[in-house]
Amino acid sequence: MDILTISLWLITAGALVLSLKKDRSKTLQSMKSARNMMKNMLGSILGILFLIGLILTFIPPTLIQGALGRSNEVLATVIAALAGSVTLIPAFVAFPLINSFTSVGASIVPATAFLTTLTMVGIVTFPLEKKEFGAGFALIRNAFSFVFAIIIALLMGVIL
Amino acid sequence: MSLYQYVKKNKMLTAVIAAYLVVTVLSPDKALASAKNSIYYLKEMLTVMPIIFVLTSLIETWIPRQIIIENLGDKSGAKGVVLSFALGSLSAGPIYAAFPICKALLAKGASVLNIVIILSSWAVIKVPMLINEVKFLGFNYMLVRWLLTTVSILLIAAATSLILKGSIPQRSSDASSGPIKVLSEYCISCGLCVDACSKYFTVQNGKVTLTSAPPAAADLANIKEIAEKCPAQAIILQDAT
Repeated sequence: MDILTISLWLITAGALVLSLKKDRSKTLQSMKSARNMMKNMLGSILGILFLIGLILTFIPPTLIQGALGRSNEVLATVIAALAGSVTLIPAFVAFPLINSFTSVGASIVPATAFLTTLTMVGIVTFPLEKKEFGAGFALIRNAFSFVFAIIIALLMGVIL
Repeated sequence: MSLYQYVKKNKMLTAVIAAYLVVTVLSPDKALASAKNSIYYLKEMLTVMPIIFVLTSLIETWIPRQIIIENLGDKSGAKGVVLSFALGSLSAGPIYAAFPICKALLAKGASVLNIVIILSSWAVIKVPMLINEVKFLGFNYMLVRWLLTTVSILLIAAATSLILKGSIPQRSSDASSGPIKVLSEYCISCGLCVDACSKYFTVQNGKVTLTSAPPAAADLANIKEIAEKCPAQAIILQDAT
């Protein structure tokens, strides 16, 4: 483990001890709800992690570099943003998934677009959003989020 | 849980397991290589998962969500913007878990600007998740993305508010028969209500539903308290008394 992870472990452990001291039952209660939420995501987390292995073994790096590399970045970014909009996976397995792509040569630009639309644009949750806030609101918010996901991604490519 | 239900609930995992079985038959070497790759990521994941888990719990325990919500009125100005970012970033669960809370806020007079900020930051900027991002994509990546995203959210919120002229048509919630109702599409299955009151709440297919027992009047106060604690605000009491 690197130094950052170790210090995070220490800080978190310290905070947990403090929290347990201050309000034991409340802390345990929220840990229990967090555990239940995680348990529900466990299936898709394991699924994605083992999918990563298949991707790395079967898709040759040259193919990924060609399709998601620096050469046709804008098109790849738009497609990645579309993919992110319709996908429903827990955000925190998206990070190792992205890492597996960039480690074999995919550009961070489409990767970032995917990451942003994955959480911010929801085609699957659109009907729910429409029902609660109206079609206008849902449409405007999702459309802006999609456009900005692409802008953020392209800027990331310029900055990093 | 029957096998069918299990498969239905874990479509992704089932498909991946099936793929591994096929690969094992056709080419055991490749199956082994795939598993090795995955185990590397699994190990990396396990070094941060406990931190994310504990941090999520601590945030849930100590962030005074009610106080933030009370302070998010129509004329909350810059303070409201900061509070909206805080509320969104310090909450657990997917974006749709924010819908009922945002609806309640709208009814209390929160601005469209703040609602969009809450929804968007709830979706993309999760404090425990930033740790995961650093772990797999590096500190610089996380920082730059965080800055760009925060600015974008402000612009999106301002533009949305401008287009909608600062108001969202209020919709009345659909009527239902009983005094309590669980909005299963919002339930994040945290199990809090079941723990507090298994007499009326039970888990079915991973979502909380009401048991058939009609609630006794004496229990309503207790249920109201549970409804307030529900992190997704998915428990609705029809009678506000």
